[in-house]
Order: sequence, then structure tokens, then C-alpha cells
Amino acid sequence: MSKTNENPTYWKSLNQLANNEEYKKFLEREFPENASELKDGMSRKNFLRIMGASIALAGFAACRRPVEKILPYKTRPEEVVPGNPLYYATAMPYRGSLTGLVVETHEGRPTKIEGNTEHPASMGNTNTQMQGAILGLYDPDRAHGITSDGQKKSWDDFLSFAKQNFTSDKKVAFLCEANSSLTLNRLKKDALKKFKNAEWVTYEPFGEQNALEGNNQAFGKKLRTYNHFDKAKVIVSLDADFLQQGSENVTNIGNYTRGRALESTKDSMNRLYAVESNYSLTGSNADHRLRIKNSEVELFTYALAASLADKIGGLEAFKGYNNHFSNHSWVSVLTEDLLNNKGESIVAAGNDQNPAVHAAVAAINMALENKDKTVSYYDVPTFETGNDTQRFYELTRDLKAGKYDALVMIGTNPVFTAPSDLDFSSALKATKTTVLLSQYHDETARQTQWHVNRAHFLEQWGDGTSYTGVKSVIQPMIQPLYGGKSEIEYLYAIINGTSGDGHKLVRETWKSYLSSTNFENQWEKILHDGILPNTEFDTPRVSLSSSFATYMNQAFAQAKKPGDNEIELVIKPDNKIIDGRYGNIGWLQELPDPVTKITWDNVALMSLKTAATFGVKNEDVVSITSGGKTVKLAAWVLPGHADNSITIWAGYGRKGIGRIADDDFGIYVDNKYKTLPFEVHKFESKNVFPFVTTDNPLYHTSVTVKKTGEYYSIASTQDHSSMEGRPLARQGTLDTYREDPHFAPEMEEVAGIEKKSYRKFPDALYTPQEGYDYLPQWGMSIDLNSCIGCGTCTIACQAENNIPVVGKEQVKRGREMHWVRTDRYFIGNDAGDPEIIHQPVPCMQCELAPCEEVCPVAATTHSRTGLNQMTYNRCIGTRYCANNCPYKVRRFNFFNFSKEFLSSGDDPEVIQMAMNPDVTVRFRGVMEKCTYCVQRLNRAQIDRQLETKNQSFKPVDGSVQTACQQACPANAINFGDISDPNSKVVKVKHNERNYIMLDVLNTRPRTSYLAKIRNPNPKMS
Amino acid sequence: MSQIFPKWANRVPKRLTIGSIVLLNAIIFGVWYFFSPRYLDVGYQPIQPIPYSHAIHAGKLGIDCRYCHTSVEKSPHANIPPTQTCMNCHSQINSKKPKQIAKIRDHWKSGEPIKWIRVNKLPEYVNFNHSAHINAGVGCVTCHGRIDKMQVVHQVEPLNMAWCINCHKNPAPHLRPVSQVTNMNWKAPNGNPEAYGKKIMAARNIHAPTYCDGCHY
Repeated sequence: MSKTNENPTYWKSLNQLANNEEYKKFLEREFPENASELKDGMSRKNFLRIMGASIALAGFAACRRPVEKILPYKTRPEEVVPGNPLYYATAMPYRGSLTGLVVETHEGRPTKIEGNTEHPASMGNTNTQMQGAILGLYDPDRAHGITSDGQKKSWDDFLSFAKQNFTSDKKVAFLCEANSSLTLNRLKKDALKKFKNAEWVTYEPFGEQNALEGNNQAFGKKLRTYNHFDKAKVIVSLDADFLQQGSENVTNIGNYTRGRALESTKDSMNRLYAVESNYSLTGSNADHRLRIKNSEVELFTYALAASLADKIGGLEAFKGYNNHFSNHSWVSVLTEDLLNNKGESIVAAGNDQNPAVHAAVAAINMALENKDKTVSYYDVPTFETGNDTQRFYELTRDLKAGKYDALVMIGTNPVFTAPSDLDFSSALKATKTTVLLSQYHDETARQTQWHVNRAHFLEQWGDGTSYTGVKSVIQPMIQPLYGGKSEIEYLYAIINGTSGDGHKLVRETWKSYLSSTNFENQWEKILHDGILPNTEFDTPRVSLSSSFATYMNQAFAQAKKPGDNEIELVIKPDNKIIDGRYGNIGWLQELPDPVTKITWDNVALMSLKTAATFGVKNEDVVSITSGGKTVKLAAWVLPGHADNSITIWAGYGRKGIGRIADDDFGIYVDNKYKTLPFEVHKFESKNVFPFVTTDNPLYHTSVTVKKTGEYYSIASTQDHSSMEGRPLARQGTLDTYREDPHFAPEMEEVAGIEKKSYRKFPDALYTPQEGYDYLPQWGMSIDLNSCIGCGTCTIACQAENNIPVVGKEQVKRGREMHWVRTDRYFIGNDAGDPEIIHQPVPCMQCELAPCEEVCPVAATTHSRTGLNQMTYNRCIGTRYCANNCPYKVRRFNFFNFSKEFLSSGDDPEVIQMAMNPDVTVRFRGVMEKCTYCVQRLNRAQIDRQLETKNQSFKPVDGSVQTACQQACPANAINFGDISDPNSKVVKVKHNERNYIMLDVLNTRPRTSYLAKIRNPNPKMS
Repeated sequence: MSQIFPKWANRVPKRLTIGSIVLLNAIIFGVWYFFSPRYLDVGYQPIQPIPYSHAIHAGKLGIDCRYCHTSVEKSPHANIPPTQTCMNCHSQINSKKPKQIAKIRDHWKSGEPIKWIRVNKLPEYVNFNHSAHINAGVGCVTCHGRIDKMQVVHQVEPLNMAWCINCHKNPAPHLRPVSQVTNMNWKAPNGNPEAYGKKIMAARNIHAPTYCDGCHY
């Protein structure tokens, strides 16, 4: 971005860019249409039911004070002090490896998950799925017990069944999800010893099997690739969404943002190039992004390798290769930039790309001398030999042929996710004995003989390794709520026919890792710290295998340029629910997707041009056909998506799983019902897994797409809370920043102050309320240069502050309750290929708060610590404050959302356990908003008073963190006492990039932003 | 022509006016007094499952409050003691009411918690922190009354916001040395709690928050 086009267009949706009638209508109202009215019958009925119940209760409650009982312990556990939370280290198995966590428990009830600062995969941070795990634990829809052919069974029944059926003469097949458990692998060896002809296969629909196979072809060994994004100066992502997908994404986000952190103009930063079809989260953070079809990524990789082969050794296999990308400007620019940064660059390929791409990328990284500098190859001892994908296919075929007596499944859901031409259901029918361990009574469970309900990781003993191999122990926080069993207890029962205690099994395993003389002390230390340090996997010496050139030649022959007018279909794991495994977690379903801002649904994503060829707009239903399978989905135009390509997220369209995951939203035949009511016709399944076949695992090169003339409503938050194109999210290039470090605060002219005096405020109309000197003055800074827009802050806030889930219908009406939203702006005038900037917006805690001036009942006022406080019990729900808030951060309880959320299901008391006891659960008709986690601040303040015997009321800098700050994997949020000149937040706020959103209004917010800096290559423009 | 209204009707408007003023005042006073926590909540004295007497334990025997309510100095909650605390003594001592002691021992054996009934309760939207108040030198007796003289515990203060705020605006008369917090008989020297409290406030740097999110969040 040069000086001349310093103010490009920022827009949230195509409607806004076009500034059409629909958008104007939307803007004119504080709340979207129907947000404050009850028009449809359904809701009115609901409303009356709720109100009726409340009035009845109120009437009785007034007669007599309700008797409340206090139940003390029989013997109080030593560490428990009622009212003070305890923190325990544990770890979460996430897509095949562990991430270290610290869990907050209140009297034995886990309520909040944080990262473990000691753990290398976490560094104190988490991602959305980890934050959502708390709701997953208390999910009332999890399977409540063991079933066999529809009958309820006990654990003892299962044991006697296992004893009878799993005798050593049986031919047993094991199908296991990707996992790193050390104890499971120990038991696996026992199993393979006992069952002589057994087969053990790992199956994961969106796993790392292609990357492993690629490395196997390149190096002759199945090795795991780990990229050190903090050490790289140039990163090339070939469809690699490393900030969102993959089990190591928390580490990647941390490393990537560390490689871009700017404290002054002297610092340098990395440069990210992204080549992809869909607009991914990684693509939205890239300095340069090339949109090409997914099937062309392979061709681009080979062209890049061929171009590099002319300059450096090690890529002889690619010499002489050329295709239509060989003369592409990107190839020459990338070649030059990579060669200039040998040993400091990374080329990364997406997990869903085929093995040949990974092999080529491995060769490129070797040739660029990146190995052991920016790229490591780990030898993971728990991997089986062979190609996991092929082995799974073979196993299924063998099962269908009746070659096995029994099938034991651990955690997977192949009936839902396996390629449709494999027909996994018939494999289950052909096998005499089938058993499954899983959390929900899912698609596979319904077709298996025995289903054992699985314990949540917060309920079980376990262990495992991080992505890089660091060993950890999983310790339980609570007894299994529904009597679930862990995978090790389940496998032990199948092998031995007796019940094994998880705790003992894990300790047994760890005897081989710890010294026998000092076992107890070391064990205690591991439980306390959460890790056994210095246990990374080996990084063996590698060289390209002799068969590499032949392998690549085969790949060249198969890689063909797709036809220009062919429509390609790409299946991607969902950003929130992955393959559907987190589908019943309401927090994740309601989190707006980082790029499209869509909640609750999957759509057919396509570019503006492609949509025009089909004549479809957003929410028009299209039917997509390939290989005899058809799926009907709403179309959604995503600016920046590759042309002639359609991306669909997997994991949606499920039935009978739970009240959140199940799909029961309606479809409309007639446009006039487009807004409400919802249920006209039940929508056919939005499940895209039927498209997955053994030949075309994750993309189809040629599909037919038809507009059906029907409509399907999508709840997207992209236009909600719009701020009409003012410079709210600000960015510049590294060059502009170095030339003019203060470019960001000067982007908006403020009446009453000189342009250069950006840290002064103009005179105020109101007298600002002064804080007391003895109290801390809280302030926050959000670094847009670090923020990648993942949305972890939103979920962390939701978990900490008891924020309810409102449902798709309510989101559609603009009633989502998230206290911190992440705004996504498209930048640029080309609607086909814009840039993206993300901006999290919590309450700004204005010192001259416009909301406070208009509240008729003084329910929102100013505290002496500088917070704009919200007093729920005073609020009468006029919503004047939300109208007067220029940042649109106030949320209103249009219904008794919390009560609905907390009193649904068979045992509502379970979901109530997920609530934070330190925060009030809000009622209908009450306004709420970000409080800077005042419950944490007050506790820290009181703790400090107790510590210093009242001499100080100001917590030590860094001793108190807000929930969003603590969870943020990019460390973009700084928070602290701005009256302390040495606090980190003050130092950050003195950065030249610091600016205030809408400073022209002179609201004097306590939250400020640091402008985003991009690092474009001058040769690209 | 005879009068339509009898003569006494002349007095009706006057009486009605006076009557309605009296009635209105009575209603206002009635609501103001009878609907207030001072009338409704003070004196709430539920029957506990075991007739534990604070008068005997805290009064006659002089056991310190913190022997049972251990977390009061370090946690927002003053805990109800676990059954084990009772058994510390009552595994040996039988007292004059062996039936009641047997109940405790039954709970101890079965592991069933004793279901005490809560007496002092604040609404859910108020966050009260015991440790902060104890640390500042607010005596137990200030809010809970003469527990050491109660056979059955009852609520002494209205615990409404006006009552809280009164003290937060002027904490001086209610402060004492931290060492005397559990002392039910403590009196300010020279009979002037206000002056003594002011000294404590200055010496111990005491500030009571009066802004909303000091308690409401």
C-alpha cells in the first residue's frame, strides 16, 4: 500500500460495498428488523410460556422466603477453601496430540480452561475448541451409559461380553482415532500380542496422513513436519491454514505472531504468502494472497520447485518440469524471496493436499537448507508403518469380505466421515462383533453392537505427547458425570475381560519414563507442572530417497490443469466443529466463522464471478451434484474466493446427536418468507461427507451446480454493529510505518486538537469522573498486528462471564450476546480479490461514556477504577444506552436466554455446573456488556489488600489478566493498571501505532488499538 | 321541595378527603415498613436439623468463631464446618443431649452431609467478600449480632443495600483492631467508636468502595 492510496475502502459485506437498499435499511435501525418485535407465532408462544411461569413463581416466592440449604463436607479435602478456586494442570487431546492446560475448579467443579504456560504446545494459550471443552463436559446430550442393540447395559455386562468374545483365537481389527496416548500404545502392544492376527489402523478424516505419506515418499520414513514460524522471515503457505487447522495451531499462532511483533520501527517482521482457493484465516493474515483453484495448488507447487531447481541443488527431480504457472509472476517473485532467505524460510503445504505436494514441499525445504533451522522432522514412535489412508481402505474392504471376527473402534465415527463408496455400514454388518467407544450416540454407534460411552478428557486419567513430543499426564478434574470410560480402561477391558483402573494403568506406563527410586516425587511434580520436560521426539538425519524422482514423475503425470470452465468442489474441515466432533457445543456453533462471519451453518462458498455465472445470491439454495450424490446448500458469496471453485465445510447436517448438533432449520420455497418464520420445510441434510470418495478424498474437479429457486436463511453477523466506513481498523505497510511512525493516530482528524498532538484530548462537554489515586486504573491495548481474528477471545469471554447461547433464529435478528466480537473488514475496491483485517471489539470503557449519560435509572455509571460499570439489578431495559453507544458493544437480553439455556434438557443441573459462580447470571430485559472481567479484578484487588495488609490496593502488574487476554493465542491483548507508568500496558500504549477508535467523538476509551502493519514485497505490485 | 341529600352529606367530602389522606399515609407507611427487609427478614430463625447452640459453644465455652468458620479470613465465604469439625470434640464428649450427638455421629458414619438451613443471605447479584471485611477490622458482631447469646441463630440486621451503604459511606464507627474481630464484647476505648475508627482508618489505609461494581458484577 503506497502513500497515494492510503485510504482504501473498508467494507464488511458486498451489500455495504454496493451501498444498496438492503444495506441502508439494515443500518437505519439500531437493531435489525424484527429484533424488538415478536411477529411469529412460535416465539410468542414461547414468550407467554416463559412469562407465565415467571409470574407464577414470583407470586409464590413472595409469600415465604425460600429455604436454602448449605451442605458442608463430611471431611474437607485439604486444599479446598470454599469460595476460592483451585487450579490443576492437565492436558487436552486435540486432533492427535496434547495441549497442556490449567483448569480452574470451584469445589471440585471445573469451570474454566486456561493454557499451561509451562507447556510448549500451549505457552499459556488456547484455541476456541479448548475454551469450548468446558461446555462439552457438561453437555447433557452425551451418551449416558453403555448400550447394546438398543438395550441399556452395565459395565459388568460389557466385561463379561468382552471376556466371552475377545478370546485370543479371534481375528480382531482395531480402528482408532489419531491419538498420542502413551498408555494406549502400551496396551496396543498387549492387544497385538494377544490377538495374533490383529490389525491396528489409525483413521482421521482430516488428519496428517497425507503429510506423513509425503515425507515417507521424500525421505523413506514417516516423519512429522513441524514449522518454526517464529524463526522464519519468509513463509509460503500452499493451501496450509496453519493458523486454524492442525493439532498444533496454538503453537503456530504464537510463533507466527512473535515473528511479526513490532516494538519499534527498527524491528523487522516475517512475510507471509498464501496460495489457496478458499479465503482461509491464514490467507486473511497474508501479506500477499494468490487465489487459484484447489486442484491447481499442486501444479503451482511443482512450478515453484522447478523454478528453484534452476538456481539451487537438491531439486533435480523437478528440472525441466513446466506448466501454466511456470511463467507466473508469483513463481519468479517467490523464487527470489526464498533464495534470499535460505535457512530462514518455510514452505508449508495444507494437510488436505495430496502426498505428492507434501513430498515436493519437503524437497524444497531441504534444498533451501531450512531443515533444523525453521523446519523440523520428528520421528514419532507411536506411528504405525504404512500409508494410513490405504490401510483404512484395505481394512474396510477386508471387513466387508468377512475376514475379521471383531471390530474395536476407539473414538472415531467412520459411518459419518468415511468415503461414501467404501460403505462402512456394510463393513459393520459383515462383522460379527462390533464395539465402539464414543462420547455421543452417533451415526456409527447406532450401527454397532456395543456402544460404550466415553469419558470426557476432564473426567479421566490419561497421558500423551504434544505435537513435538513433550510428555504430559491428563488428570481428572471430576468423576465421570455419566459413568463414561476412558479409552485405556475400555481397551484394557477388551484385552483382559476385567476392569482396569485408569490411574493405575497410567502410572504403570510412566514407570518406564521415571526413575524407580524417586518415582513418587517425580510423579507428583509432573502432575503439578503438567509436563515432563525435555522429552521432544528425535529429529533423525534425513536425505531425499532414491525413489523420489520416480515418485515425482508419476505425480507430474497425474497432475493436470483443470478445465477452465469446470467447477471444482472442495471439502474443508469446519473452522469450529472440525469434522462434526465438536458439533454439540453451542458456543462453537454460535461463534461467527472468522472469515465469513456465518454462525450455525455450512454454505457453498463461491466467488462473486462464479455466483454470477449461476445467477445466485447469498442464501439462494443450490444443488451440487457429483458422482451421483447431490447436496442442497445455501450459496454464499465470499469475496476473494477462487473462481470456478466451491468450498463447503464438513461436519454439519447431523441427526440424532443432540439439540445443538442436530439440523432442524427450515428452507423456503418462497422469497417472501426469507426472514421469518423459519420452519417451512425441513432442510435436507447439509452433510457433505457423501461427496468424499476413495478416488476423490477432499475435492472434486468437476461438479454440476444448479440453482433450485429455494431459499435458506443464514445467520451471518457480518453486517451487525456496522460503523459506516470510518477508519476504525487501521493498517499500514512496514515502509509507511518506518517513514511515518505516527501514521495510525493521524488517520482521523479530531476537531479541537492539532494533528501532531495525538495524545491530547480536546475539551470535554462533561466533567470526567476522576478515579481515586489509591485504586488501580484499568486499561487495555489490542494489537491488531498480532490479532489473527480466530475468535478465541469470544469463547473465553463466554465461558468466563456466563454468556448464554441464543440460537440461530436470534442471531439472525442481531441478538447475539458475545461481549467481544471480532469485526472483519474487507479492504480494497476489487470485490473479487480484497484484503482482510480483523478487529476485536469489546466495550471500550470510555471515560466520557455516552451510554452513562442517557440511562434514566443510573444502571450504568462509572467506577472509581475507571470502568464503565453495568448494574444488572438496576437495569429496566430501556436500551437507550445501546442506542447511544458509538461502538455497538452493548448486548440486551431480549428473552430469558440464560434460563432457557440453563433449564433445558433432562437434567438441567448438569449444564448449570458450567457457570462461573463469581458472575451474575443475567435475566430477561437486562443490558449487559464487557466488564473487563471485573470479578477477576476485584478478587485480585482484595488478594493484594490481604497480602500487603491493606497497604496497597493495586495488584502487581501481570498478576491479573482478563479472560480474553489470557486465552489469546496471539498475545494480542495487553491489560493492566494505566496509573502505573511501569506497567506493560502503558509501555504498549506508548507505541507510535497506538490509536483510539473514533477518537473524534472524544469518548476517551480505556481500550486502544495498535495499527496493523503489513509487509508486502515491493516487487509484487 | 325536599332535599335530595340528607344533612349529614355535607360532611362527606371533608371526611372523604381526610379519610383518604389517612388511608394513603397508612398504605405508604405500611409498604415502607412491612415490606422492608427490616420487617420481613430480621428475626428469620429457621429450625436447624441439629439444634446446635452457639450460646453454648461460642458463649459459654468461648470457642473462637474461626475454629469452625475457618475460611472467613481468606475466602469470600465463611464456610459451614465439615462434620469432622464437630467430631473433633464429640467423638469424646456426649453432652446432655445424647440424641442430638448421635445424629452427628450418624452423619459421620454415613457420610451424608448435614443439611443446615441458611440464615443470612444476600441476593445472587451481590458479591460479598468476608475476607476483605475481616481484614479491614469489621467485627463478626457488627453484621451477625450477639451470636454468642443465641440458642438458635437468627438474622439480626436487614442486610439491604441502604444498610450496607450506610457503613460503606462512614465505616469508622464499625471498625476495630483486626485482633478483636471475633470478640463479641469488644468496646471502643473511651466510649467513642467514631473517633477510634477514624484512627484505624488512617493507620490501616481503609477505603470502602461505594461505586456499583465494588459489589455488583
